[in-house]
Amino acid sequence: MQQLLNGLFIGSIYALFAVGFALVFGILDRLNLAHPAVFAASAFIGIELVTVGGLPFWAALPAVAVVGALLGLIVERVAFRPLKGRADAHFAGLISSIAVAGMLIALLQWRYGAETRRFPADTFPAVRFDVLGAQVTLLQVVIVGICLTLVVGLTWLVARSRLGRGMRAVAENPTAARVLGVNVDRVTATTFAISAALGAVAGALFAMNVNSAQLGMGSAIELKGLAVIVVGGMGSLPGALVGGILLGVAEVFAVQYLGSAWRDLIAFALLFGILLLRPQGLFGGRRARQV
Amino acid sequence: MLTESTVTFIALGAIFAFSFYAVLNAGQLSLGQAGFASVAAYTSVLLAPDPDVVGDLAALLIALVIGMTAGTVAAVVLGLPTMHLRGVFLAIATLGFAEAVRIFLLNAEWTGGAQGLSVPKIVTPAIAWVVLAIVAYWFWRSGPTRYGRALEAIREDELAAGAMGIDVGRHRLGAFATAGAVAGLYGVLWAYTVRLVAPADFGFTAAIDGLVTAMVGGTTMFVGPVVGSAFLTVIPEIQRALGVEAGWIRPFVAGLLLLVVILFLPGGLAGRIPRRIRVPDLDGRGSGSGSDDGGSSDDGADLRTREHAPRGDVVARLSGLSKDYGGVHAVRGVDLEVRSGELLGLIGPNGAGKTTLVNMLSGLVAPSSGTASVLGVTAGRAPVHRVAAAGVSRTFQHSKLFDRLSALENVLVGGHLVTRPTLLRRLLWLPSARRDEQAALTHAARCLRRVGMLEAATTRAGALSYGDQRRLEIARALAADPSLLILDEPAAGMNQVEAGELAHLIRSLADDGLAVLLIEHNVGLVRQVCDRVVVLNFGEVIATGAPSDVAADPRVVEAYLGTEA
Repeated sequence: MQQLLNGLFIGSIYALFAVGFALVFGILDRLNLAHPAVFAASAFIGIELVTVGGLPFWAALPAVAVVGALLGLIVERVAFRPLKGRADAHFAGLISSIAVAGMLIALLQWRYGAETRRFPADTFPAVRFDVLGAQVTLLQVVIVGICLTLVVGLTWLVARSRLGRGMRAVAENPTAARVLGVNVDRVTATTFAISAALGAVAGALFAMNVNSAQLGMGSAIELKGLAVIVVGGMGSLPGALVGGILLGVAEVFAVQYLGSAWRDLIAFALLFGILLLRPQGLFGGRRARQV
Repeated sequence: MLTESTVTFIALGAIFAFSFYAVLNAGQLSLGQAGFASVAAYTSVLLAPDPDVVGDLAALLIALVIGMTAGTVAAVVLGLPTMHLRGVFLAIATLGFAEAVRIFLLNAEWTGGAQGLSVPKIVTPAIAWVVLAIVAYWFWRSGPTRYGRALEAIREDELAAGAMGIDVGRHRLGAFATAGAVAGLYGVLWAYTVRLVAPADFGFTAAIDGLVTAMVGGTTMFVGPVVGSAFLTVIPEIQRALGVEAGWIRPFVAGLLLLVVILFLPGGLAGRIPRRIRVPDLDGRGSGSGSDDGGSSDDGADLRTREHAPRGDVVARLSGLSKDYGGVHAVRGVDLEVRSGELLGLIGPNGAGKTTLVNMLSGLVAPSSGTASVLGVTAGRAPVHRVAAAGVSRTFQHSKLFDRLSALENVLVGGHLVTRPTLLRRLLWLPSARRDEQAALTHAARCLRRVGMLEAATTRAGALSYGDQRRLEIARALAADPSLLILDEPAAGMNQVEAGELAHLIRSLADDGLAVLLIEHNVGLVRQVCDRVVVLNFGEVIATGAPSDVAADPRVVEAYLGTEA
């Protein structure tokens, strides 16, 4: 039970991170590899807001989301929009987002140095509960709550709102969407902003949860995020949620039964199995090939 | 500034980038190369003989052979189950493989864990550059061969490549195996340069570095990886020479330069180098003569020739052919025969099922029921390239040209089935390879001339006008020397004059003895050229016969114009 809950906590952060990946991939068919850099940057910025700015944790999270959204807009402007209409936009977008990620991490190094940073010890009250014989901290409960709320909210946004309709129209066919009066550039930019804001919140929560932030934290979660969106189905938001939690739980059990050295292998075993058996992922629809 | 180790690392980086180039050039993105390299490095370090016993160079050579083999085997083992994946899916699957290998090596006993295994230093700059030269030689010589062009065609449009008779799966696996072999070389060289094999050197970062080097250098010219590696290796050296020491400036500038190259130099640094292609001088009369439309099937002795069915023989027989998409019956119980030398028109309103029918006939779509036997193969059961090899060639309703290749190269790919493989002979500089390549070029140029496009031979296909693209598609289909030619709306988007010339061309093809199946909306054109017309409506044949009879058929009039109320 304890293991299951622990898996749920870490898994919900994976899910929140992966949802950002999935959103951009699902709507624009592009992998944004600057996402992990935003994840790392927002952890550092969150820590600075709390330690230097003196903000309480509750106020810091929305602030981090706003900063993340701004970073997302910059990433879109610099790394993706200039490539519009290029034959090799797929590969070039990967590379340009890697370049922006490198620059972002370099700037972090300039501002914060290479050392590990932490939230101050009293940022969050250390309250514990007993749930069915398992130990749960208030922080963990809050993390799961925030992650679930954001992911469900986003799913609702995409499915129901006017903006969501625009997103789905762009996903289906950008040219047709433009003809129908959808402002494709604005929808694209908004998608990046929302995706990055979610990644930013995930970064701050992750740093809170493991109580440290490092420059390399983005690359550590990057591969897991990719595994999650493949398992869930590229571009599927519920898939990313389920995939993230699945991965979190699988990892925790792997540590218990196989030893911690093999934890990271689980993500890839899961990934590989899914790709071979069900390439469209658990929740992905198969796209028809066009002749 | 150019120290010995910098020179060595330029070569190593370039070799690793070549392993990405090998797949990128064929349109696949694999990130598993670091995994292949580590498998190769560990295998060779464990199996290769001790340099103190057999000598440095001998030990290294043996290690390189072992590494290449191990890398190739790893690539094929990974490639077989993942070949059906495309784009980012393939990238993520291969990345997952590489990470799994790394974690395994990190945790296994015999690998020394994170510390790795120590290795003697044998590689000198000279050795590294010799190996690089050999790798570059392979890619230089393989580029303008039938094999190299097939890979480029797959990169540009997999479906069209298959329809030209290229076995897409085998070629993709071939590219993958090449990537594995080259990555294996890199892994071994790396180990014998840095005196260590450790899992950390073959992680995600290494894979990204290799990909970035290949992309910056350019993935369409064989010198790309070398240029990319020189550029990316020298930048930090220049920064060091300029006294830039602060830890963050260097990665920042590297990222910025990478961004600039990707955004402003599409095709990478080497993409600036123009591709040269010589247009052969046909019969010494110079290029540009479009008047002579002598038979394109007679192309000299150096091409494989196909046995065509005698005029009047049935080349395709459809019986009860049907295709359902969900609840939609796109094609319902079509019976049809197509004969050699016959120009058969297929008409019908939009959505009548014409394209679905020819997709089944060319093997792209499997029928729901019924059979289509074409030139001795059962379309739908045989893979697309097998149907093409039997003698079916086609154009597509929406042009599916290889956009970044020149018009002439497009037609060269079309000749895949009738030209000979030249790769191995070109590696050895055998004169016969040159003759065969020349024959292929002449054949392609003749096909271009037949459609009147020889002047545009060196133009990029994507830059041609719409009408010219349609004609180029016909030339490409003709280059396969088909027995059955399927033209899917070739006159769409053409003006009156162009359509008139096209009608003349199509008629002359049938007169040469080809079976031609023409789908067309331009009913005037169909009436003018076709011997027989089949009318399809809602997936069913509603009329068959001579053009004038069909045009008078009340059901056909009804299908096109609706009933008189």
